[in-house]
Amino acid sequence: MAFDLLVRGGRVVDGSGLPSYVADVGVKNGKVVEVGKLNESASKTIDASGLAVAPGFIDHHTHLDAQMLWDPYGTCEPQHGITTVVMGNCGLSLAPVRSGIEDAIVKSFVRVEAIPRFALEEGVKWNWHSYGEYLDNFEGKVGINVGGLVGHIAMRHEVMGEDAVERKATGAEVQKMRGHVLDSMEGGALGISTNRNERHMREDGKPVASRLADDEEFFALCDVLAERNGGVIETILGRNKIEHFEFYHELAKRTQRPVLWQSLQHRWAEPNLWREQLDAVEKIFKAGYQAYGLSHTVPLVRHFELKNCQVFDEFPTWKNLMFLPVEVRKQAFADPATRDKMRADLASPAPTNFHRRWDILRVEKVVKPENQKYNGKNIEELAKMQNKDPIDAFLDLALEEDLGTVFWNANNGGDWNAMGEILRSPYVLVGTSDAGAHVQFGADFGYGTILLGLWVRERQVMTLEQAVHKLTFHVASIFGLQGRGLLRPGYAADMAIFDPKTVNSHEPEWAHDYPANSKRLVQRSDGMHYTIVNGTVIHEDGRMTGDLPGHVIRGPLYRQQKAAA
Amino acid sequence: MGVSYIPVARVGELSAGAMKEVDLGGRQVLLAFVEGRYFAFSRTCPHEEADLKIAGQLLGGATIRCTNHSYCYDLASGECTLPKGAAPLTVLPAEERGEEVCIRLEW
Repeated sequence: MAFDLLVRGGRVVDGSGLPSYVADVGVKNGKVVEVGKLNESASKTIDASGLAVAPGFIDHHTHLDAQMLWDPYGTCEPQHGITTVVMGNCGLSLAPVRSGIEDAIVKSFVRVEAIPRFALEEGVKWNWHSYGEYLDNFEGKVGINVGGLVGHIAMRHEVMGEDAVERKATGAEVQKMRGHVLDSMEGGALGISTNRNERHMREDGKPVASRLADDEEFFALCDVLAERNGGVIETILGRNKIEHFEFYHELAKRTQRPVLWQSLQHRWAEPNLWREQLDAVEKIFKAGYQAYGLSHTVPLVRHFELKNCQVFDEFPTWKNLMFLPVEVRKQAFADPATRDKMRADLASPAPTNFHRRWDILRVEKVVKPENQKYNGKNIEELAKMQNKDPIDAFLDLALEEDLGTVFWNANNGGDWNAMGEILRSPYVLVGTSDAGAHVQFGADFGYGTILLGLWVRERQVMTLEQAVHKLTFHVASIFGLQGRGLLRPGYAADMAIFDPKTVNSHEPEWAHDYPANSKRLVQRSDGMHYTIVNGTVIHEDGRMTGDLPGHVIRGPLYRQQKAAA
Repeated sequence: MGVSYIPVARVGELSAGAMKEVDLGGRQVLLAFVEGRYFAFSRTCPHEEADLKIAGQLLGGATIRCTNHSYCYDLASGECTLPKGAAPLTVLPAEERGEEVCIRLEW
């Protein structure tokens, strides 16, 4: 058999979590047809020796609902090996929609997901009503595979208009919403999402519509998925509370569908919360139900100098010092009485986001050559080396270097051991990229390349095989993405080919590639050599090929309908 | 320990509801004149780091609303009033001293 594409000599990490092995991968008609030692010819051959060959990564938590309409790649997803995206999270989708309620949906997207209004107004043409029609827009027009969840907010507005942000739904309205759930699922939705985050408001300050729904309404909508035995239920309830787990348990038990909740991460300010969450969710799984916690891979890191620093703004003395002219500030830092006051500030019992732990804050980059030995040391280690109190060691080093020393701090995700347990947990779904949202405030397209670079290569909290499994088949299995997520014969030829020795993510940078040349943050990668979608290369060493081989991924009820027809 | 009064504007320089950008020790601060009082606060919204010079909308009751996500902050205390409990805005005490509006920094 002549292949369309032959990937030669790579180390196949097949998405199952099993040990990797060296093999060739043969592709024909968009699917993997053979894996092993292959001698047949091919129209195109890629030499993957020294590289890992994995199934394409599946980004299950995006808000690309609008961006995919003007950017068929969901840039920068392919640059990070992502070949499939799921839109419609957090209760927000662009369908179903009837004439006159478009702006209610825009108001929610603008505020909750911080997508500029003019980008939505220019880029979204609203030439659909149902969810299925919305998905039709992508057929033959996308470079990556795209699927989505139907959002509770759109369905509420569809049925209740502006009353959706004012009151509970009546029984008749709930029945109509149930009809939209069914219609959306049969049109191809992969599940349903809702939003009860008390901080999520519309542009006009009103709560997003789904926040007005009670349990009875939401459970009634989710019952449609249970009755038809398909789809996932994605939720955001706001601040993590252990009480939420009773809700997840009840929902998962009632529907027997996978429930997804946000989010599970390590925070130094609440260092035991992640453990309590994992324990709580384990009980649900042990009872036989599924409630996966979403976890990010990107630590919330701040690099700072004492020349310009916001890290200590929660502490009055520290805050005021940071606004003083630099020369006055230096004199104050050197003053023992001021240091005592700074110590007293940190000892105050008021809860703060800053963890107050000198074993976490560390020296990232010194100025003077003679201080090189301190690079990478935490402040507690620095203090021991100098036989000083940590605050004295911290301030003395900064003063010696004219406040030019760069320090490193992470309030979240900084505990390697905790992050290792979280990321390895079978109850945790890795990745909350939020791609397509908060476009001028951050860019986390690289959650997968960071998992491979930071957590696998540098911190070694999991194996490459485990990480690839988490980025591929683990997601495909939960979302019911048939024929994706494994590199096996018969599966879609979605592939990420990367160098495990160099793969990583860059810091976000500005680009002017949104509608009306508006700016947003993008993110490049290192070590991601090829991204292949349905057998066609779309990204090669930083260059996009321009091909559009992506498919619309429709869910189980659509497939049931089609099979019945 | 000590106290510094850093002049940042002339009294009468700001009209009602106006904001002025000020550099304080390398950090960007906004000075606002609202309901006959001066308020000084960080130019960066603590929620998602929007520039309050652009996104900030002064409301009655000495409140600023970041129009990016409708988060509201009490300019006197920095407390996030909508939604309650979110990270506070960094605020600094501003006061008239003779002809000058000064930021009072005590350490």
